[in-house]
Amino acid sequence: MLSRIKNFLLPKKRRFSTLFLYGFFLGIIFIILFSRVMDYTSTDEFCMSCHVHPHAEDAWRLSTHYDNPSGVVTHCVECHLPPKGTFRHYTAKAVTGARDVYGLIFKDPDNINWEAKRHISEAVKHTYEESCISCHQNLFPLQLTEEGMHAHLYYEDNIDDLNCLNCHLHVGHYSEHAQEMIDFGFDQIAEEPEYVYESSAIVVEFEKYTETIPETDVAFDMLPIPGGRFMIGSPEKEPGRDEDEGPTREVELSPFFMSEIEVSWEMYMAFFRETMSEGRLDHGSHVSHEDTGNELDAITGPTPPWGSPDQGWGYGDRPAITMTWHAANTFCKWLSQKTGKPYRLPTEAEWEFAARGGTDSPYFFEGNPRDFTRQRFFNRLFGADTTNINSYVIYDENSYSRTQSPDAVRPNQYGLRNMLGNVWEFCSDYYAEDAYAEYPGGQVIRDPQGPAHGNERVIRGGSFNSDAYEVRSASRSHTRHDAWLITDPQIPKSIWWYSDVFDVGFRVVMDWPPEQE
Amino acid sequence: MGQDSKLSGRRDFLKGAATVAAVGALGASTLFKSCSRGRTTAVMPEFLDQAPDGRVLKAGIIGCGYRAIGAAINFLNAGNGLEVTALGDVFENRLNHCRQELNERFDVEIADENCFIGFDAYEKVIDSDVDIVILATPPFFRPLHFEAAVRARKHVFMEKPVAVDPVGARSIMASARMADAAGLKVVTGTQRRHQRDYLSTYAHIKNGIIGDIVGANCYWNQSRLWHVNRQQGWDDMTAMLRDWVNWCWLSGDHIVEQHMHNIDVINWFTGKHPVKAVGFGARHRRITGDQYDFFSVDYIYDDKTHMHSMCRQIDECSNNVSEYIVGTEGASNCQNTIINHKGETIWSFEYPLDEEGQPSRREMKSPYDQEIINLVDAIRSNKPLNEAEACAVSTMVAIMGRISAYTGQEVTWEQMMNSGMRLGPSEPAFGPVNIRAEIPVPGSA
Repeated sequence: MLSRIKNFLLPKKRRFSTLFLYGFFLGIIFIILFSRVMDYTSTDEFCMSCHVHPHAEDAWRLSTHYDNPSGVVTHCVECHLPPKGTFRHYTAKAVTGARDVYGLIFKDPDNINWEAKRHISEAVKHTYEESCISCHQNLFPLQLTEEGMHAHLYYEDNIDDLNCLNCHLHVGHYSEHAQEMIDFGFDQIAEEPEYVYESSAIVVEFEKYTETIPETDVAFDMLPIPGGRFMIGSPEKEPGRDEDEGPTREVELSPFFMSEIEVSWEMYMAFFRETMSEGRLDHGSHVSHEDTGNELDAITGPTPPWGSPDQGWGYGDRPAITMTWHAANTFCKWLSQKTGKPYRLPTEAEWEFAARGGTDSPYFFEGNPRDFTRQRFFNRLFGADTTNINSYVIYDENSYSRTQSPDAVRPNQYGLRNMLGNVWEFCSDYYAEDAYAEYPGGQVIRDPQGPAHGNERVIRGGSFNSDAYEVRSASRSHTRHDAWLITDPQIPKSIWWYSDVFDVGFRVVMDWPPEQE
Repeated sequence: MGQDSKLSGRRDFLKGAATVAAVGALGASTLFKSCSRGRTTAVMPEFLDQAPDGRVLKAGIIGCGYRAIGAAINFLNAGNGLEVTALGDVFENRLNHCRQELNERFDVEIADENCFIGFDAYEKVIDSDVDIVILATPPFFRPLHFEAAVRARKHVFMEKPVAVDPVGARSIMASARMADAAGLKVVTGTQRRHQRDYLSTYAHIKNGIIGDIVGANCYWNQSRLWHVNRQQGWDDMTAMLRDWVNWCWLSGDHIVEQHMHNIDVINWFTGKHPVKAVGFGARHRRITGDQYDFFSVDYIYDDKTHMHSMCRQIDECSNNVSEYIVGTEGASNCQNTIINHKGETIWSFEYPLDEEGQPSRREMKSPYDQEIINLVDAIRSNKPLNEAEACAVSTMVAIMGRISAYTGQEVTWEQMMNSGMRLGPSEPAFGPVNIRAEIPVPGSA
């Protein structure tokens, strides 16, 4: 009986061609089913059926990709997968699908930082530029404004460095904050203060004082940092150490004052309000971002920024961010002029001395970077006890991907807050990987100022985006001027505001005793 | 993969001015063909002596000086069904002169309602139901007029140079891409790209007859150009416009206004543009305006190839308007002769014979006619032809040389692409112009 069925289905004659025929039909059925599954799993309804991000759906329905004069609706997969019909479409779909299923089973959607995923650095990972281009094939349509034409020319000529999202981040999911950025008038938040200080603080002793900026309502605390000797850099065995942190050198510093907190929006806005330049100065093509100028009489300050520079996180006592080194340096000159005291950016050595608070350990508090870092698989798998670091440092584990108020952390031994974490801080030194090696070994270096020349400046302390390794006292990094301006569509680019970095700020120091200039 | 390759194709396309220059040349006709080994081989384009017949094309002229009259004559001679129907200028006498010339030579009657006077005449010409606009004003106005023409979806013949400053050159590049997207045809008055002897030489050099290009020279040394003294009753704007070839903000100085032709040839032949320039120049003889009398610029391409460019407008000096290009296997004047390193001619262009049986350049179709024939052919036969970006690149290179000579500094292409320099009044109008005849002094900027 069985053999009869077998003979019927697979006759001895032409067995091979029959098999081929079966294969052919199976193939067709497979293709139809595959296509059905693809279609079914590519609908907006399917994407939203897990109900993990209803806010994404709401924001999409408010966006120009859903609600626009032409009535065309752009669906989830049209942006979040490579264009249909490409091989990458299917591989990306498989990977994305697997990740989503994993997330659905093992993750709590409430613990996912959805807002961080909307930031440009994350958004480019789940949006495909070729998909943008596959619909928006004409970058120079009739309705494009003159500014738009220049911006798209710039885009096409720098296509390897730029992504559509650099300028069009919120087109797929509406953002109130983005709307704010479009309607933004920086002077609107720089309101006239209700009361003003008449004079600056008088400092007669080397102890904490509260600086009051005349003609503003802004006050901030300055803390005495005693001079002394310390070893700059980190020992070779320090976990997470980078090559540029050595060799260690003994440094002796004169005493100075340092601001308790990173320069806040409140402080920076006072500066902006007084010095704002109305239009863009035409510096021609030869102005350098290192042009520090010394004309103190008439300080020309920042132009209005492009969009709202706080990224929607709020102003107040949060650290000011996105200003260039030049702008931070100009702030110090302005502050000096207002208060009659020599405020400036700290040198790298002063910064590290202050951050260490007398310690020579990786952090000014107890703890081993190896136990906190997420770069170790062990920690990723089993978690780490981060109680201690959490109380002192705003870093990627506790920051919710944004700056935090200085109140959120405990101070170090000198009373300084956020030396480690929150935002990177500009130093006055030029950066060189071998800066310490250039200092003579075996002797004490007095008040080092760093290399005499360079292109980029030192930044220190790590930020809310940093891993635990990066927020060590000895950890060094530097500005990346061109990369941090890549999106800026203006020509010439702003010398006041960075467009592509959101976690760098600064704090000020003052010499003691103040030398007469 | 379709979209992927489209995107990467687009990126490659956008990347180099090399491609841009090639596209400009492509316009003349099919200049490249792929041979079996996949290498591109340049072949001689097929030349039309007359534009093919087709639908009637109406042209409007913006800027009615002598060059406009010349271009209009070329246009009306290019083929059948070609009309000039509108004129615009800021000066009535210029417009009337042009109108009269066209009437006397071609019986062209242009109605009063299609003659427009004023700084906004360009908008009215563009709106007067024309198919093509001929832009022949001083180059200062070109970016504004070109953008308006492209937005109105008009085909364009415009004279070189296409800008006087970096902002203007970039504006042309952006409008050029909009023109591409809209399928418009654009010819830019760089007529050597339509000159049969140049094109033949180009094809041979592209096919490797002189090996790799290692150096180049180009020259535009000539007698002084004209000037117009200010007359009583003229306001600043009138005086400057009448004397425009002596004012940098209107002409770009003569390195841009004239010599850009020769620079363009080297860019075209090398397929790229210089990345930096160091130049000098000075003024000794000029009577009006703020321009220099001569420039000498060392241009450097990204492969370290140097091009020496020089231009001069002074009487009683040795004159020379030409190009010279040197390769690993030989050299060429780019126009009609190729030699090897022994100095032996290995190829020369065969000019057509005149009545006496002698080869004569005059018997060759004039490139001024040819470029318009090619434009009309491209429109009627729907062939790709848009020279605007290539011309903007060469204009930018000339501006780069000028700025280097004016300042004494090395100037880079990157600086040019990021420069906010914009010359001239923001809203040109008759009356006072706040620009003095200050001659740039190198080393003082």
